[in-house]
Amino acid sequence: MTNCEHIDTAASYVLGALPDPEVEPFVAHLATCAHCRREVAELTLAANALPLTAPPAAPPPELRGRIMTVVHSEAELLAAAGPEADRPPRPAKAKRAGLRERFGQVGFSLRPAVAALAAGFLVAVGVAGALVATRDDGTQTVPAAVKIASAPNAAATLTTDRGGHSQLRVRNMPQAGRARVYQVWLKRRGQRNPTPSTALFTVDRTGHAEVSVPENTKDAEEVLVTREPDGGSDAPTSPPVIVATKS
Amino acid sequence: MSLSHLADEDLMQLVRRADAAAFEVVYERHSTAAFSLAYRMTGKRATAEDVVQEAFLSLWRSGARYDRTRGSVRTWTLGIVHNRAIDALRRATVHDKRRASDEGLEERFEARERTDVEAGRREEAREVRAALEMLPDDQSRVIELAYFGGFTHSEIAEHLDTPIGTIKGRMRLGLRKMRGQLAGMAEGMA
Repeated sequence: MTNCEHIDTAASYVLGALPDPEVEPFVAHLATCAHCRREVAELTLAANALPLTAPPAAPPPELRGRIMTVVHSEAELLAAAGPEADRPPRPAKAKRAGLRERFGQVGFSLRPAVAALAAGFLVAVGVAGALVATRDDGTQTVPAAVKIASAPNAAATLTTDRGGHSQLRVRNMPQAGRARVYQVWLKRRGQRNPTPSTALFTVDRTGHAEVSVPENTKDAEEVLVTREPDGGSDAPTSPPVIVATKS
Repeated sequence: MSLSHLADEDLMQLVRRADAAAFEVVYERHSTAAFSLAYRMTGKRATAEDVVQEAFLSLWRSGARYDRTRGSVRTWTLGIVHNRAIDALRRATVHDKRRASDEGLEERFEARERTDVEAGRREEAREVRAALEMLPDDQSRVIELAYFGGFTHSEIAEHLDTPIGTIKGRMRLGLRKMRGQLAGMAEGMA
């Protein structure tokens, strides 16, 4: 039963102690080695019991509130959007399939991003007509909706010149969080899903930042901001915290 | 029948259809175990809260991928928490976190023993803890460093100045012994 040179790696694998570059080769090995598969299954039973040894600690009650606020919001949006909400658009089928696969590996689904961006759209509709300042040279400034419950004073504006060069200004924004950055996204006309901008930013101590969007925003309907892991993401992994709808 | 009477697996069928109330029951049942694990691993309440929040939102959003043939909802949930906590630990440039030890947690809220189910879990926990404590120190240590510390076997080998092969062997021997001692109980948890 132990006549495989990789058998000791099974323990490291089930404990989550395999260095990242070694995970994929070992998973591939499992597909061909019944000894290691059996070993992983056996050791997993022991590893699954380990959380029970953690000293019991109750989560703070407000954590439940924070989580359920997001859950209720997404549930309502999904209900409002109907059964089509979670279906990828046909033209982007191949790309979406790839993304689903990728997110599947890290325990995430595209559904929330779609729902969250729908939420952003609804909020943006509410503010779009509120105020648009246009200068003589055609530069327009629109207020953006900031969706951070813990930061009621946070605000953002998007200024765009005739050439499609945009600058986002934010103030009173909370920090993006440890190992997180804010990332800008462009939702272009006719596209259901936003495309990533290379604009990543953090805010200073006062919650202030001015961000130039490197990509041309001429054909963008919305400029969005989400919180993402350091280095940014190819697809949103969290709901938008800022939604600016261009006039 | 109220949601609280449904089995976890049945609740997950509802979560798959975006039923927030069903999700809340799942949270109620497993959030203490999730938070305990996250806090044990990260040693910081704020980080543990972030980990639990990420994990449960991930569970809510990926409920359709839950497969009852591969384990209980509790095991699945704790697996997500474990992975998220490892991510949080490895995002830090150094493992400088304060470890949550069994004797020094002034901040810890003791979870209340609310139901018979909770009491049963406490008993299971005592058995698992006993099985872990019965291992030789060198085996329990590498298992704890790996599982709760989020260290890779390479990091543990370097930290203990011991060959990687020896570390992997200790992990495996330790887990096999635990598996043997928990044989009866582990079937129920799978």
